[in-house]
Amino acid sequence: MAEMVLEVSGLTVRRGSLTAVQAVSFGLAAETDTALVGPNGAGKSSLVQALLGIIPHQEGEVRLLGHRLSRQGRLPEAVRAQVAYLPQTFPLVGRVPLTVAEFVGLGWDPAGLRWPWRGGEQRRRAVVQALGKTASQDLADRLISELSPGQIKRVLLAFCLVRPRRLLVLDEAQAGLDAQAVESFYNLLFQLRRTEGWTILQVSHDLEMVRRTCTGVLCLNRRLRCSGPPNHALQPQQLEQVYGRGYVPYQHHHAPSPPLP
Amino acid sequence: MSPWEGWLDLLQQPFMQRALIGGLLTGSLGGLLGSFAVLRQLSFFSDALGHSALLGITLGILLGLNPTLVLIPFAVLFALMVSRLVDNNRLPTDALLNIIYSSSLALAVVALSFVDSYKGGIANLLFGDILGVSWLDLGLILLLLIGASGYLLLSRRDQILLTLDESLARSRGVDVGLHRLLFIVVLALVVALSIKAVGVLLISAFVVIPACASRLVSNSFNLYVPVAAGLGGGCAVLGLLLSGALSLPSGPSVVIVQLAGFLLALALAPRSKGPGAAG
Repeated sequence: MAEMVLEVSGLTVRRGSLTAVQAVSFGLAAETDTALVGPNGAGKSSLVQALLGIIPHQEGEVRLLGHRLSRQGRLPEAVRAQVAYLPQTFPLVGRVPLTVAEFVGLGWDPAGLRWPWRGGEQRRRAVVQALGKTASQDLADRLISELSPGQIKRVLLAFCLVRPRRLLVLDEAQAGLDAQAVESFYNLLFQLRRTEGWTILQVSHDLEMVRRTCTGVLCLNRRLRCSGPPNHALQPQQLEQVYGRGYVPYQHHHAPSPPLP
Repeated sequence: MSPWEGWLDLLQQPFMQRALIGGLLTGSLGGLLGSFAVLRQLSFFSDALGHSALLGITLGILLGLNPTLVLIPFAVLFALMVSRLVDNNRLPTDALLNIIYSSSLALAVVALSFVDSYKGGIANLLFGDILGVSWLDLGLILLLLIGASGYLLLSRRDQILLTLDESLARSRGVDVGLHRLLFIVVLALVVALSIKAVGVLLISAFVVIPACASRLVSNSFNLYVPVAAGLGGGCAVLGLLLSGALSLPSGPSVVIVQLAGFLLALALAPRSKGPGAAG
């Protein structure tokens, strides 16, 4: 039986008086790539944020690598270090004078108080290696505010790579990218998933890309409406349960590509 | 005595030496805290804190207590209350802060007008009296500078992640609530302890201008924070020397030098390459 990286049981998340996610249960086996799909306001971002302890959850249980996440979102540091999260955007990124190497180094630093010069050489080596794996070496001394959206995504992957991780959670990774950049991002992500042994959970609106790249799909509209492999979960009758009647998936205009290997 | 000799004589006066040390410490502290405050869009918050400090000083005077000792807890409590109000309110933050700082300033000035002994001292409170700082004041500011530097250095990773994105910071195990609270407390203490030297109206310049100048010329975070602190301290010392040489008011002289530093940084700043400049 495959090792379970994430186990969710009866999870309910409230934001103020609104129930964003209700009684959701699912599990992610190691080295799978699962998409979380659903209409706007379905609770996708709330769900992934609750799974990572970014926001508290009110009911149910979340286990990450076998460790229980507290309701307030606390997790042992050794477990948290193996989980990486990429939010949709960083609104303040343009204002912060941070180089790519400095940013990726933040992904290496363990949590808690420590002098910034501790582990400097190890950090530097890990950063160089991570930038190399994402073909971003030439960006090391550039300010992140100067990068294109595609470059930022590569650097974010380097941020995840700088330490060994088991679970990668992406919230609409393709947001802000053009079709070519989406293609190139997913190619890199897929390649890294195989070489790094990542388990991926990604929020996505691009059902075509989900069909091509993911091993599983979770369809959410406050509750989990359906789940399974893409060829099952993305059937029109299943999608109607999530998006409502008359739903017509948007066809992207980039050239159709074969499924990623 | 020539003007040069007069100036050298002034430098040998203990009050001027205390002022220079005070300027160096206060300016560095403003630059240090400002480097994070500016990026987190707290510039206006520090302005509001500075204006409300007058209310704290007035409270001290009305209670017959040492105004500085009343101001420290007042500024911290006030900062925490305002921070909570801003977080839990639908109004735009700048509008809310405007209401808070203008009304606390008005309340303080009206209350002070009833205190005969302070009628003449309002200008000092508004624009600072760095020449009047005592060794005790300097000791407290030095302690705060050491404490703030240690805290920001030790939590550097958490501070940067928090500045970049709160959800990213939380996902990396950063105690966002605690660090936001501590930063607000340190910022309030900086304002409270710098008011005597800098004044209610000019304190935000000490926090904002050096950090903005540093942001313009820094090409890494490792450079940005020390340059902001260095500019803050350096401009304060230069401003005080200028004020001594030309018999100008000290606080405004420092701010004018900071402005000159900012304009120089603006002229020297590399033009922004913009996103994706290199493809």
